[in-house]
Amino acid sequence: MSEQDLSQFSPKGDVLVVAEQILGELQPVTMELLGAGRILADKMERQLKCVLLGYNITDLAPKLIEYGADIVYIADDPELYTYRTLPYRRVVCDFLESMKEPPHTALLGSTTTGRDLAPRIAAHFDTGLTADCTELDIGPYEHKSKVDPSKIGLYPNCLYAIRPSFGESLKARILGPWKNPQMATTRPGVMVPLKPDPNRQGKILKIPVVLKPEDYRLIVEETIREVSKGIKLTEADVIVSGGYGLGMKDGLDLIFQLSKCFENSAVGASRKIVDLGWIPYQHQVGQTGKTVRPKLYIACGISGAIQHRVGMSKSGLIIAINKDPDAPIFKFAHHGIVGDIYQIIPEMIKQFGQKQSESERGVEAVVSAH
Amino acid sequence: MAYNIFVLVKQVPDQGSKAGLNPDGTIDRARAKRMLNPFDRYALQAALHMKKAYGGSVTAISMGPPPAVEVLLEALEHGVDKGFLLSDRRLAASDTLATAYALYKTVEHVGEAVGKADIFFCGLQTTDGDTAQVGPQLAERLGLPQITYCEDFSIADDRKVHARRIIEGGVQRVITSMPVLVTVANSYHPLDYKSFRGAWRIQQLQRKQDELKKYIQTVDLDMIGADAERCGLKGSPTIVAHTEKVGEIGGNCTMHEGSAPENLVSEVMCQTTCKEFLLNLQQKTA
Repeated sequence: MSEQDLSQFSPKGDVLVVAEQILGELQPVTMELLGAGRILADKMERQLKCVLLGYNITDLAPKLIEYGADIVYIADDPELYTYRTLPYRRVVCDFLESMKEPPHTALLGSTTTGRDLAPRIAAHFDTGLTADCTELDIGPYEHKSKVDPSKIGLYPNCLYAIRPSFGESLKARILGPWKNPQMATTRPGVMVPLKPDPNRQGKILKIPVVLKPEDYRLIVEETIREVSKGIKLTEADVIVSGGYGLGMKDGLDLIFQLSKCFENSAVGASRKIVDLGWIPYQHQVGQTGKTVRPKLYIACGISGAIQHRVGMSKSGLIIAINKDPDAPIFKFAHHGIVGDIYQIIPEMIKQFGQKQSESERGVEAVVSAH
Repeated sequence: MAYNIFVLVKQVPDQGSKAGLNPDGTIDRARAKRMLNPFDRYALQAALHMKKAYGGSVTAISMGPPPAVEVLLEALEHGVDKGFLLSDRRLAASDTLATAYALYKTVEHVGEAVGKADIFFCGLQTTDGDTAQVGPQLAERLGLPQITYCEDFSIADDRKVHARRIIEGGVQRVITSMPVLVTVANSYHPLDYKSFRGAWRIQQLQRKQDELKKYIQTVDLDMIGADAERCGLKGSPTIVAHTEKVGEIGGNCTMHEGSAPENLVSEVMCQTTCKEFLLNLQQKTA
């Protein structure tokens, strides 16, 4: 088909971002999704809509417009104060059903909340959902497989949900243009928010909240924030991460010691050792863990599989230690040390600790000279 | 009060083993070493803990090609009472939605055989799909409340489930009625070692296939009354349309090797980028 033929297909539906707030605070992933959603909406010449649920949250709406939304839908109700699966699911599903045209694309954050809610919505509408995307795009797709003849055809505007595929150094483009909304989640820290524009114009509309008795089956008794202090991975300047190359759980002691050489540091982990139960999930860096961008990332005994890489490759400076000179991590680290972790790390603790205090003195000297 | 406990388990390729890798980096699932999805070990532990603490029986359910019966045997060794495997060629290439539908039909079928479930335990996610979607999608099909990222739970006298779950930057304590679907986080207690007796019993069973069939049943789509159109490639709203090799990024790693540890570390330290970096970092925190 020529390009002219393609232009006769105009996509149906807009792009929708399901916003996330906790205790009246918009989560960064929402602004990131608006940034990504804006690009998709512009490509299709469609609107970017955003739905926000909570209680006393109307004042958050202008911020969503500043970050790219054309229309913000607000569901404001005391029952929505804290996230609960069933009430949120009810409101979002009812809202989607009330739309004349379902959204073309619906995006959620791949947070504990988004991962709880998105599959419920997708299953309710029997539509496709791709988890933890690292890239999103809009493009054409021609389906030729004859397994299901009803699916054959040329689809000019599909959501490309791109994510690394299992255990492989491959990126998979997943799509499902047969049913709207085409849904995807992305991890916090992956997409890039727009620069907020206070002059951006948009509409703010209220949507109804009508819950059913079965939506009250789960009660939130208590929400405790920040229980695990000291592992705010996404905000750390320095992350020291351990992997299976440590050989044993006790090896993590060294990782913690090394991280203590730095201010504002945190300890990360590869998935393998989280799977093994050596360290809690909250420490996990990578596609199914946290996406981090510290100034310094020290990877100790981490081979550097694609799943780990997508979570940390944007770090300022990456130093990797591994005994295998062919480990994939050396393909994208800035400095690679080939050697035994149990010899290198103690040496680092010795020297990094020293250098830091030296540079500290250096800074002091500069300050006093002024 | 005896509870009817269902646990969903999956067999996944062992990512640690290089045996099943094709030259192009894709997984050859037929050759790859197989294992119980690591996340399901926590679900199994939760189910067995519940049986031990509050009474009842545990039924493990899996979907996969015939070798997946191995994970049900493993579950039996750990103390699970019964296992059901849904195995059917028409399930090939199922995405999460189609999988959740097939499991939903299986669960209904098993419910008729052993009684309706009071509680479902699933692993948080699998290591091959990585989506964490099938649990909540199954809960949606069943019309149940769900507790995802569950770290700990107890059952009160009024049969309410009290649970602690992980949320962004914290935890939440929730209470819900049964039936409920729970996905278990890997910060839950690790799976106990299987007892010698349990393992021995299963070894004996495996020698008598007729006897084994009393404990593990394999069903197909027709037996559970599932609509084959909603399974496999046909029933999947998503497809993998395209894969591409991930381009190498960076590629200018400065390697330090072949000398004593103290020299290697000081080599790195002497690099201008590192020096500058540490200075900047220090200035920021100062």
